[in-house]
Amino acid sequence: MRSYWARRVGSSVLILALVLVLNFVLFRMMPGDPVASIVDPKFSPEAKARLMEVYGLDKPMLTQFALYVKSSLSFDFGISFLTGRPVADELRSRVPNTVALLGSSLLLSALLGTWLGIQAARKRGGALERLVLWGGALSYSFPSFFFQLMLLMVFAAAIPIFPLRGSLSVPPPLGGAALFLDYVWHLALPVLSQVLLGFGGWALYVRNLMVKILGEDFILMARGRGLPERRVLRGHAFRMLLPPLLTILLLSLPGVVSGAVLTETVFSLHGVGRFLMEAVTGHDYPAAGASFFLLALLTVASTLASDLLYGVTDPRVRLERGRGR
Amino acid sequence: MRRRTLTRRWSFWCLVLLAALALFGGRLFSAPPDAEVAAPFSKPFWLDRSLPPTVTADLTPDAPSAEIPWSWGAPSRFFVAADMVADAPGRTILWTKPGGRTVEIAPLKKGVERDGRDMAFKRALGLPPFADGAASLLDERGTYRLSVDGQGPWEGTVRLRLDGGRWGLFGTDQRGRDIAALFVAGIRVSLLVGIMATLIATALGTTVGLAAGYLGGWFDSAAMRLVDLLLSIPMLPILMALAAIWGKGLWQLVLILSIFSWMGTARTVRAMTLSLRDTAYIEDLRGIGAPTAYILRRHLLPETLPLLLATMTLGVPGAILSEAGLSFLGLSDPRVISWGRMLHEAQTFGTFTAGAWWMLLPPGLGIAVLCLAFLDMGKYLEERTDPRLRGGALS
Amino acid sequence: MTVKKLLSASILLTLLAALPASAAFDPGAYGVPKVKDLYLVILRDPDAQLLALEGGKIDMLSDLARPVDIAALSKNPAVDMSLASGFHAFFLGFNARTFPWSEAELRRAACQAIPRERIVRDLFSGYAEPLATYLPPVSPYFEPGVTTYAYDPAAAAKRLADAGWTKGGDGVLVSPDGRAVPPQKILSPTASVAPTTTEIAVRAAEALTSIGIPTTAEPMDFSTMLARLDKRNFGMYVMAWSMGKDPDSLYSFYSSKMDVPGGYNLSGVQDTALDDVLDRLKFAPDGTAAAAAASEAQKMLSDLVPAVPLYSRYSISAIRKGWKNVFTSERTTADNLWTLLAMEPESGPMRPLYLAQTDEPRALSPFTSTTAYDWQILGMIYDGLMASDPETLEDMPWLATSWSVSDEEGPEGMRTALAFTLREGVVWQDGRPFTSADAAATIEFLRKNEVPRYYDSVMHVEAIETPDDHTLKVTMKNRSFWHLHGIGGLPIFPKHVLETVKEWRTWLPAGEKSPDDQTLTGLVGTGPFVFREYRPGEYVRMTANETFWLGLGR
Repeated sequence: MRSYWARRVGSSVLILALVLVLNFVLFRMMPGDPVASIVDPKFSPEAKARLMEVYGLDKPMLTQFALYVKSSLSFDFGISFLTGRPVADELRSRVPNTVALLGSSLLLSALLGTWLGIQAARKRGGALERLVLWGGALSYSFPSFFFQLMLLMVFAAAIPIFPLRGSLSVPPPLGGAALFLDYVWHLALPVLSQVLLGFGGWALYVRNLMVKILGEDFILMARGRGLPERRVLRGHAFRMLLPPLLTILLLSLPGVVSGAVLTETVFSLHGVGRFLMEAVTGHDYPAAGASFFLLALLTVASTLASDLLYGVTDPRVRLERGRGR
Repeated sequence: MRRRTLTRRWSFWCLVLLAALALFGGRLFSAPPDAEVAAPFSKPFWLDRSLPPTVTADLTPDAPSAEIPWSWGAPSRFFVAADMVADAPGRTILWTKPGGRTVEIAPLKKGVERDGRDMAFKRALGLPPFADGAASLLDERGTYRLSVDGQGPWEGTVRLRLDGGRWGLFGTDQRGRDIAALFVAGIRVSLLVGIMATLIATALGTTVGLAAGYLGGWFDSAAMRLVDLLLSIPMLPILMALAAIWGKGLWQLVLILSIFSWMGTARTVRAMTLSLRDTAYIEDLRGIGAPTAYILRRHLLPETLPLLLATMTLGVPGAILSEAGLSFLGLSDPRVISWGRMLHEAQTFGTFTAGAWWMLLPPGLGIAVLCLAFLDMGKYLEERTDPRLRGGALS
Repeated sequence: MTVKKLLSASILLTLLAALPASAAFDPGAYGVPKVKDLYLVILRDPDAQLLALEGGKIDMLSDLARPVDIAALSKNPAVDMSLASGFHAFFLGFNARTFPWSEAELRRAACQAIPRERIVRDLFSGYAEPLATYLPPVSPYFEPGVTTYAYDPAAAAKRLADAGWTKGGDGVLVSPDGRAVPPQKILSPTASVAPTTTEIAVRAAEALTSIGIPTTAEPMDFSTMLARLDKRNFGMYVMAWSMGKDPDSLYSFYSSKMDVPGGYNLSGVQDTALDDVLDRLKFAPDGTAAAAAASEAQKMLSDLVPAVPLYSRYSISAIRKGWKNVFTSERTTADNLWTLLAMEPESGPMRPLYLAQTDEPRALSPFTSTTAYDWQILGMIYDGLMASDPETLEDMPWLATSWSVSDEEGPEGMRTALAFTLREGVVWQDGRPFTSADAAATIEFLRKNEVPRYYDSVMHVEAIETPDDHTLKVTMKNRSFWHLHGIGGLPIFPKHVLETVKEWRTWLPAGEKSPDDQTLTGLVGTGPFVFREYRPGEYVRMTANETFWLGLGR
């Protein structure tokens, strides 16, 4: 058992190390000049050379790599080429918005999806199951940015009941409660769009899982013993459902960050997703390196956590894992 | 049993129709999709019937004036050009309004062109810079007259073109291209990207998964670490980075998409192979000395095939949506017409705020319908491998 | 010709009433900003910007580029539009180091084959000026008497035929010495900020193909493209430049001395006569010599055709009605400093002004910020010694009330000496007085640290002297008329703040507190607005500087 976890942690560290190397190589492989985007056309060649020097781009590659590894491991990340501010500061100002957006939409769509999925599995062929199937299909087939732009056009431009942009009014209202409400009002449409696009996937997943679980022998036995349906669901089926559900929740964390790129672009939100995109397209090595490293960290951590959780909630898994690896 | 027949699924016919359009749709249009066919931002022909039709008139020395009866609102373009061999000094092109007021359009010179949008022309007409030249030249109903005035010989043709504001099924875009033709051309790109990327990814994933599961050992752990590594990199930003390294061509995109979507298949195939490897009949085969490649090809691969077909079909929408997302962010080849690109251009040229829904809905809904069709198809295939899931048809 | 700036009659009338009857612009009519609270709302998406203006969430929107938006806003009765010519210039460039673009006749023919007017019409709905010269017509140094190449593909073909070019069986041009033109590529950026650029490249490629030069457009990542241009690994490219008020940009673009790695002479045209003229332009002793050299350089360039000028974009801005004292001229749209100083609501009490900040502010440091978005803010905080007249673009006194340029004998030949007389009574936003020591400390700081943004302006400074509190003397190492603008255009920082800057690279003044006043940050200038707060992703708040020096005598 101990050795299994040691191996898991060991391989996670290995992956992080690989990501670090990959980040460095990948961005320096990108053709193009990182200072190109900050140079004024009237800069003389000497002024340009000075700029390279200021950003440490004239140093040998190995030195640059050592500096990069050091700054990543110390979570310092250096100064962004594009913004001229410390990457850590930039991330700090953006993380709260992204966490609020993704956290609330993930949670809401998971809750709604789970409830709908269970109901759909219970009443096969009903209207609810139809809703789940369609919702699921739509969430896998609708281009999110298109859907969000349409929502924005209808509910912020044509019928202005939601704000157009950002996460606060300008100037923001005074007072804690008013400020909070203002924030909620601003995030409502982005979150709503994410939930509408996301719940279907959850519901479909839960429904399929639940259909399988409800077909299992022990459920049939429980029913056969004459237990009330509610207890069968809550006591038996739900306990079977929980571990895979939590695992999926954890494992979907890194993926939703990609979704944040588009959502934050459409709703003009100050978040990590847009920062990541600008860093990549703008050759901002420190910013892109930091974001990718943190994302890899998030992925590895959530994978580990999901393994751990699986082990805690489902004792059978422990045995399987111990044998399988 | 009804749902078992392929031909009774809507998605089957939908895909057949789209594939046919992708192959032969170009023949429905007389011009290639990137040709300018009408004034930019024309509305669909069925939308606003009060818009004027396109009117043209040619003046020649034999017929030096033309009457244009006008009973509509302003045209979207007013364009006059002189197609001549030499200048005709002393002659001018005149525009007479129904009330008799005349406006000098231009001196009659070789190659002279006047367009209602030109700032210099607007200034010459005494209009403020933000006025609509066409609207001010045709600001009432009645009979207008275009004529060549003055003395002296001239040779050639003076052409007038008043563009109406309507064209085709879905109107035109910012370059005056037919949106319906672009829409049909876009099917091909979406299908190509979706199917090719998934095919390559599935082939890659199956190979790695089979090999990892069957061979085990160092190859297995190396492959699985690679899978973990690739899964820990967010897809969209890495696509953006790679698009910058490799260029933005269609094939590069297909390759990049497939490199980042084979991991799921590899895991599934590996798990299946692991469970099959230890079954009695495979062990028997090994016992009698069957070569590894033979066992993999003849026994393991066919076992996993039905499942693969389903995951593959279910993977196509992912690739299509990724292409659309990248194009929407402006990271695709602008010369390749795709639905994502159409949405990107529509957005950058301001159609969202202009409320030009006829430009947005075809590509947006096109993507959705195509993806839905693949999903339904995938579900159909999945149900055939796992009948417990049945009843999930999208009907 | 007077171009009426599309202002409603009412605003024109108020303008006339507000300004003295003489035609010349009088900065004395302005004072402390009337607007007290200024919010720069961060609105990056063009759709959101438009909707915010239409919905009254912002009062002004600058740099409108999309024809659809311009059309929509010019029909909107709640909005006034203004338009001005600018220094933007868009070129199709050649690499004249290699065949075929080493052939001047082919470059001329290419210039003649490109339908500028149609491009402007189709892509910008006419809201750009077709450009046929190497400086935009708005430049004070613009030379109208040059050869231009109006669109005429037949004449282009004839020009080539006359020069001995023939066409091969495949329709491809063959040079007089028998070399066929190889397939050409036009590099163009795909950046979503410039959706029209690739379209232009495609159209130019079609036009060139039609005269026998097989050409395709090659869109690519912008910084990739810049790297290829830097390595001179290209045949053709399309690119927009901001040419700047001074014509010495011609030296950067076309002198063979700038054909070095990192230099902006992309075309690589080698011509000793041109080099001489550009040297005379770059190192002109005075304005007259500079003007003469600029004229001559433009004539030579139009003969050599190192690049094809295509168009110059108008700057177009929109302002909501309900504000009076809006200033516009042929050369400035409504979104200028003078409007910000003078505007007030037509009726009712003063209210906050909301402007669009079209990109996230970055470091907000006058040393490391290089984007126009940051300088929209920084420019309201800091003043230079000189400014330019919004009507004529001529030099205008600012922190310096007068100046003199003289030549003096140095150890390495003639050199320029600048003397500025500084305005008295000016105070920094934290209340301390502004003196020549501040100006000297600024130049010294920028020179000592080799701050890239100011490198070209201060690197030739030999000595700085401050004989008294209101005199600044700067001696340069060499002689050039443009040194005046280099030094006169520097933003001036307070000495007492510069002394607290330990490391200019990481200095983030917007996040610091001023020791004198807790409501101030490290961004302390003499300008009309005081920086108060930046909320990332949301807005920047500024307030009127009640001690702004322009209000001194009032």
